[in-house]
Amino acid sequence: MTNSVTINGKLHNIDVNEEMPLLWFLRDTLNLTGTKYGCGKGICGSCMVHIDGMAERSCVTPVSRVSGKTVTTIEGLSDDGSHPLQKAWLANNVPQCGYCQPGQIMQAADLLAKNPSPDEEQIMSAMQGNICRCGTYVRIKKAILTAADEMREA
Amino acid sequence: MKPVNFSRRNFLKISGLAMGGLALGVTLTSCKQAASTAADLQPSAFIHISPDGDITIYCGRCEMGQGISTALPSAVADELEADWSRVTVLQGDADAKYGSQKTGGSASIRTMYIPMREAGAAAKAMLTAAAAEQWQIPAADCHARMNFVYNKHDDRKLAYGELAGLAATLPVPDKPVLKTKDEFNYIGKALPRHDQDEMVVGKRIYGTDTRVPGIKYGAVKHVPVYGGTIKSVDKTEALKMKGVVDVIEIPRFAHAYGSIGAVGVVADNTWTAQQALKKVKVEWELGENQVYNTREYKKQLVKNVESPGEELYSRGNVDKALDAAHTRHAATYQGGHLSHSPMEPMSSLVWVQDDRCEIWAATQSPVDIQEVVGKYLDRKPEDIIVHVTMAGGAFGRKFKCDYVQEAAALSRAVKAPVQLTWSREEDTRTGYYHSVSAQHIEAGADADGQVTAWLHRAAFPSIDSTFDPLVDRPRKDDLEQIDNHPFGIVNQRIESGLAKAHTRIGWYRSVYAIFYGFAVNVFTDELAHKAGIDSLEFFKNIYDNNPDPELQEQARRSKGVLELVAEKGGWGREMPENHGLGLAVHFSFSSYVAMLVHVEVVDDEITVHRVDCAVDCGQVLNRDGAAAQQEGAVVMGLSFALYTEVNFKDGAVVNSNFHDYPVLRIKEAPEVHVHFVESDEAPTGLGEPGVPAFAPAFINAIYAASGKRYRSLPIKPKMV
Repeated sequence: MTNSVTINGKLHNIDVNEEMPLLWFLRDTLNLTGTKYGCGKGICGSCMVHIDGMAERSCVTPVSRVSGKTVTTIEGLSDDGSHPLQKAWLANNVPQCGYCQPGQIMQAADLLAKNPSPDEEQIMSAMQGNICRCGTYVRIKKAILTAADEMREA
Repeated sequence: MKPVNFSRRNFLKISGLAMGGLALGVTLTSCKQAASTAADLQPSAFIHISPDGDITIYCGRCEMGQGISTALPSAVADELEADWSRVTVLQGDADAKYGSQKTGGSASIRTMYIPMREAGAAAKAMLTAAAAEQWQIPAADCHARMNFVYNKHDDRKLAYGELAGLAATLPVPDKPVLKTKDEFNYIGKALPRHDQDEMVVGKRIYGTDTRVPGIKYGAVKHVPVYGGTIKSVDKTEALKMKGVVDVIEIPRFAHAYGSIGAVGVVADNTWTAQQALKKVKVEWELGENQVYNTREYKKQLVKNVESPGEELYSRGNVDKALDAAHTRHAATYQGGHLSHSPMEPMSSLVWVQDDRCEIWAATQSPVDIQEVVGKYLDRKPEDIIVHVTMAGGAFGRKFKCDYVQEAAALSRAVKAPVQLTWSREEDTRTGYYHSVSAQHIEAGADADGQVTAWLHRAAFPSIDSTFDPLVDRPRKDDLEQIDNHPFGIVNQRIESGLAKAHTRIGWYRSVYAIFYGFAVNVFTDELAHKAGIDSLEFFKNIYDNNPDPELQEQARRSKGVLELVAEKGGWGREMPENHGLGLAVHFSFSSYVAMLVHVEVVDDEITVHRVDCAVDCGQVLNRDGAAAQQEGAVVMGLSFALYTEVNFKDGAVVNSNFHDYPVLRIKEAPEVHVHFVESDEAPTGLGEPGVPAFAPAFINAIYAASGKRYRSLPIKPKMV
């Protein structure tokens, strides 16, 4: 099948207008609502997913672009919330409203996959595109450092 | 308090839920804090203990990230001697049985802390009495701990689940005994949020996430100018699009929380609705507010406060004291409109049927949804079923339910459940904005630098104007934070300047305290520098000068947080070149917050190195949640001190999204160290009180570092 996409390990037909952003395919067609709409312009990061392992903004990614590819959303980052970042988010009590946090975590996972030992500067550069209106930034930074420690020890 | 025991049957009748075990509702009749609310006779807390020992606590207050759905239930659980790992917190639907569900004004903890504890204590007493009956011993010989009741005579214990059935048949104690501070398990600790494990896996359901069978999705475009109307709509092209259900005109609904007027599209998914909306050709009648241009309006506000206004309050004789003053100082302060811009735009799902209306909404006030949608559909408020979802931020905006009424309009038109999530652009441009403001202060001081006169003029469109269009200037109530301010100044006069509203004005996190806190603190710092007196000493003096017995507590506790923050943040220490410290303190929503900000200023570049924050909120219910609110307040404060402002041109909002309404990002977010005053006073809320102290402390720090005095926020506006 060419016009299909693997999302969180499951194959889905792409049976919508190919210009539809991946975000709305996930949310409205597949009911995977963990990926959030925040700006629709690729500037807030709430809609971050992984496409073939790379963090991408699903609100500006036409669904046609993921045909034949592998997409991971927050629901598929781990089976049971056991990704080191998810655990670190809990250990540092990061979320307030929590709306942006799936996007933050997906972006942070991309960072740690590329750089297992980021320093604070590198963390801030990687996370600069993700807005949190509640202002949990300092805890996000700490949680990424916590997760990086755990991943190195593992 | 008048607890009510709902036997299984009664509870079923009330909630429609099939449950065994003990279900307890508690009313607020003898709760002093809530004695004046209309909800007096309504049970405010619901506890359910199932036969297997699982405990459900319903939270009637709305959760938007402030942590109330952890804080209040943890107070219940503490008194109940519940094992927190067995507790599930559920959000209550709109229902008078919860008492007031209007979640604003940082009031939830202030009004609900004691009733919640009493609810838990009553349930514990009943479980204990049930164990006593089973063992045939006095209740005094039993004690409850962590989901069990223990027999003091031997090793026997009974689990709460085993006792729940019997407990449900027993009378509810009239005056349950509350714990002492040393007995607390959860209160005063840093209990994690009950819902964060759902958040990090994307399972928490927000207003935009509800899905039901037969769902359709909406998109709306609003009349660009407040007061404008729809002149004509050409739906032809939009209706041709595959997946479009209909194009619907939503006329302005005459209610302060109603739609300002919009055109909406309903389609099979959000994206199709948004695309089709672009093809709808709309002509608007823009109306009289086309004259609104914030650039000119702000200049006019300054003129209005730099000339005599309408006197609202006076003590002593300001003019005489100013004439007699050894030194005089005057300054004018400004701030722009702000948009709440929560990460989740306005969102809800509404299903209007002939005989039923069901709503799932991110909201701060489900009862207002019932009223507004009820009025819109010509149905009784209690017939509108409102499920309160998690709100992805709110900050005051989701108190108003125009977006829900619009979803109701769409649902009614297409006879299907409609999920309406506003686009970010509509969210930015269709707000209930924080007031644009100007304040002018003139003060006189004697030869020792003691302030003898304070003239304060303020002009800003009042929130009252949203409810009454005839209101065209701040009113007495709007200015109480000035005449009720605990500074000890003998001669004071307050005047209001003309400021007609041309858009909807609303409550934004900490509301008027934002600009009052800013002007009063920056001006005081200016006076200190002018007098050559250390700012901390100057603040302390001015509080000490207050002879009014009614303001002594405010003065004492304000000074308390100032002294604490000065000590923790190292006030008075030698600073390197280009570095500076700034102080500010503000009392709002019954809590006291002082901040000390450390900045470095090199040319145009301003770096915040550290913020210390001292808080007196009485007893602290949840230390981690309380600290988180201050951290967030600093980020929001720095956003509007530096960058964010909503501008209007020809009546319409110019900003549209986060590129031109640039809220703070991670690189500029400072370390915040939060310090609590140890206190046994009644607890007060912290959702808002952190916000007003940050900007003035920041501006005072910039002055200390660079000698540059900013008086208008934001200081680096994004010009659009």
